[in-house]
Amino acid sequence: MRINTAQSFDAAISQLQKRQNAMIESQLQLTSGKRIQKASDDPASAARAERAMAAMTRSDANMRGLDVSRSMTMFTEAALGDAGELLQQAREVMVGAGNGSYSDADRKSLAAKLSGLRTDLLSVANRSDGAGRYLFAGQGSNTPPLVDGPNGVVYVGSIGQLQASAGEAATLSFDGDQAWLRAPDPANPGATLSVFDVMDRLVMELNTAGRTGAVISQSVTTGLRDIDTVSGNLSSARSRAGEALVRADGIETRLSQSKLDAQTERSKAEDLDMVAAISDFQARQTGYDAALRTYAIVQRMSLMDYVK
Amino acid sequence: MSGSPLMSLGIKAMNANFAALQTTGNNIANANVAGYSRQQVELSTAPGQFTGSGYFGRGVNVDTVSRSHDALLAREAMGAKSLSAMDAARLSQLNRLELIFKPGESGLGHAVNQFLNSMVDVSSRPGDGSARQVVLSRAGEMTARFNAAGAAISELQAGVTSDIRAAVADTNALTQGIAQANDRIASVRGLGQPANDLLDERDRLIARLGEKFQLSQIAAADGTVGIFISGGQRLVLGSQVSKLVVTQDESNPAAVAVGVQDGPNVRLLQDKSLGGGAVAGLLRFQNRDLVDGANLIGRLAASVGSAVNTQQQRGLSLKPQGAEGAPLMFGLGAGFGAAGSQRALPHAQNVRGPAGPLGSVSFTITDPAVLQASDYQIEVTAGVASIRRLPDGSSSPVADGDVVDGVKISFGAIGPQEGDRFLLRPVGRAALDMTRLMDDPRDLAAASALVATMAATNTGTGRVGGLTVTAVPLPFPGQTETITFNRLLPAQVVDGVAYNFTTTSSLNGVPVPWNAGTPVRGANGFEIQIEGVPGEGDVLSVQPTPVSAIGSNNGNVNAMLALRDAALVDGQTATDAYALAMSDVGVRVQAGRTAADLSGAVADQARAVLGSATGVNLDEEAARLIQFQQNYQAAAKMLQVAQTLFDVLLQTAGR
Repeated sequence: MRINTAQSFDAAISQLQKRQNAMIESQLQLTSGKRIQKASDDPASAARAERAMAAMTRSDANMRGLDVSRSMTMFTEAALGDAGELLQQAREVMVGAGNGSYSDADRKSLAAKLSGLRTDLLSVANRSDGAGRYLFAGQGSNTPPLVDGPNGVVYVGSIGQLQASAGEAATLSFDGDQAWLRAPDPANPGATLSVFDVMDRLVMELNTAGRTGAVISQSVTTGLRDIDTVSGNLSSARSRAGEALVRADGIETRLSQSKLDAQTERSKAEDLDMVAAISDFQARQTGYDAALRTYAIVQRMSLMDYVK
Repeated sequence: MSGSPLMSLGIKAMNANFAALQTTGNNIANANVAGYSRQQVELSTAPGQFTGSGYFGRGVNVDTVSRSHDALLAREAMGAKSLSAMDAARLSQLNRLELIFKPGESGLGHAVNQFLNSMVDVSSRPGDGSARQVVLSRAGEMTARFNAAGAAISELQAGVTSDIRAAVADTNALTQGIAQANDRIASVRGLGQPANDLLDERDRLIARLGEKFQLSQIAAADGTVGIFISGGQRLVLGSQVSKLVVTQDESNPAAVAVGVQDGPNVRLLQDKSLGGGAVAGLLRFQNRDLVDGANLIGRLAASVGSAVNTQQQRGLSLKPQGAEGAPLMFGLGAGFGAAGSQRALPHAQNVRGPAGPLGSVSFTITDPAVLQASDYQIEVTAGVASIRRLPDGSSSPVADGDVVDGVKISFGAIGPQEGDRFLLRPVGRAALDMTRLMDDPRDLAAASALVATMAATNTGTGRVGGLTVTAVPLPFPGQTETITFNRLLPAQVVDGVAYNFTTTSSLNGVPVPWNAGTPVRGANGFEIQIEGVPGEGDVLSVQPTPVSAIGSNNGNVNAMLALRDAALVDGQTATDAYALAMSDVGVRVQAGRTAADLSGAVADQARAVLGSATGVNLDEEAARLIQFQQNYQAAAKMLQVAQTLFDVLLQTAGR
């Protein structure tokens, strides 16, 4: 077969270019560390990497949601702790009020102390996170959720609780109605006790003058029992907050794990196997080198050189 | 005995070898000219002279200069080149299309995810203006990405159009050149010698034409060549040329078609019948790949935008709003929501009335979640209208008001006429037309329209899991609905399913069979997931979200977040849909690359075979130079001998 000289030059040049391209492509992959620059490099892996990336950004977003849930829950847990201490103080006041030697005036000053504790309790119940969100807003409240009404404190928030978006159930707000106003009354099955109603009643009773020792002692006994009841209800709300925090830790672990999994998946799908890539690059380099050398030898040869 | 025959032999031989040397020189000179065919001198022995002692040779004659030509190989090389040009043209466009479907952080899928993920911060802080503003910014960013993708597709169409125009202009110039070459070849044919260089020139023009279109040639007796494309459309016959023209596609005005000018008429060429050539590749890209690309992007925009709009309408924004729900977040152009219906594009050959096409068809999108990334064609044959999913779907009858793949079709006051065709592009422009309508962060409907609570007196373990509003506007606006759970003993069997409960709504009083674990459907347009099992007589109350709770409720924005996992796009999530679209285009590019590599290699091979038959090898020519030079020297020696003989004769005679 006759070799067409012009074409043999063309073919050699295009071969050299192909080899150079392959080498540069290898080099690009090595510098970027990515096997996939565009979908056609490996469509199935590109799709896998895309899904993994979506999972990663999802984990990040959920983590942000979880952080807010956790801080709200921590605030709530602290608020409920404070409420427990205030009720403990109220309990001590009531124990003191049972003292038979106290006069009406003494009990009045104890009532003033109780009344102060009630105000503190209400402000704890209406505590916000500092950014205008009320801890006990239930399913939402733009204003303090617990307000004084004609018949005592009522709940104006929306009953229930909000869920944060953390990929799993995570609390964003607590049901103030349930925590503060609906302690199941053991003395009266089916009925509930409100922290504030209990305080209001005790203040009123301590303020009532001219009561006998027996009546007072009865007041103190039922008062202590009711304080313990509502205090127990707040404690159980507190332990729910504690559980929520524990759950948040669990969610965080799972979110981090799923992000890590997604990262691994993405890396598997689109990252370069360095060892293979380097050996590939060296093979291509050797190939290009050989092509250049043989080109230099073969294309230089011509009969014209020998005809003198 | 005179020396003159020897002299004449020598002269003839010198002439012949000089001619051969000249031809070799010409070969060397033209070695690098593309399409040059190697030439050689054809020599023949002059008839001998009869004498009593037999025939004496009278030397050599130069008959002609012929070119090394192989029509079969040339045709094969050109056919292979046509296919390779088609694949290469399509591949280069596909490579551009692929840039629209970027993977990773710069891709559209990421923009959609970022937008949906930004709702997390509104969910955490429903009243926070800055978190809402971030959602709007992300929505704007996503819209801009979709717009850019839509614009890039329009630019690709513009590029294809201009490439086709350029190729057709080239083609017309080439056919003109071939016709002129035909003319000149026919006119010098009478001289009895082949016009090698003219033939080469014509072959070169034909080869270049073959890169634009796959063509067939028929040689005529007068030496001219007829050129035909697309299974028999005449381009060149002798010195006659048919012009090619670029026109608007008859069914899709945005696309172009190529036709043959035939008097006042244009005969359109079908891309399928073109076979090969760059123009066929461009048309195929335009009619298949580009349409699919636009539809894939458009469907994603349409499905995501519509789903967010629907969810947005179900919730409550921070501003007072009417019964139609919260304001929309995205505009998606004609056919979607409030934007009204979109007109189907009438075919250019449709029955015409006094003011344009007589019949008309329009459509609206009724279910964005089942949209297909396809165009549709409605056609009327024998009085029956049918619809077909393009390009290859089967045809099914269609009537006014029918819904096909989430698209509701409406015939105009004058419907489609016999023989009419209409093109429906439900999502083709959605990416380009997408706009962000919402400007005020307070318009984002983060709050749920309804809140559900289980009564404090309930005895069962049922808790409210999640509430989804399903109707806009609500059937009973402003009303509180209580739903009472009652046990069924024994279980009631309806349609083969045993139910343990009934739920009775206070709004209609109708007991509905229900089982724990399935959603409770209220009369007021909602579904509630109940966790746990309610007790006998337990009550669930669902009331409009109080105004005081709207600023801090996050029920609806959580539902928007759930769109990340919802089957928005024909049964797939947005992420999956984009990943699939991306890999679909990636596979096309891969296949296109393989095809181009393959046909390119075949074309190279065919060209090499042709080149080795007709091209110049410099070593061969160098060898010939020596061969003919030696022969020339030998012939010259003959003259010298003849002269010496003559001199000897003269000296002898002169004594």
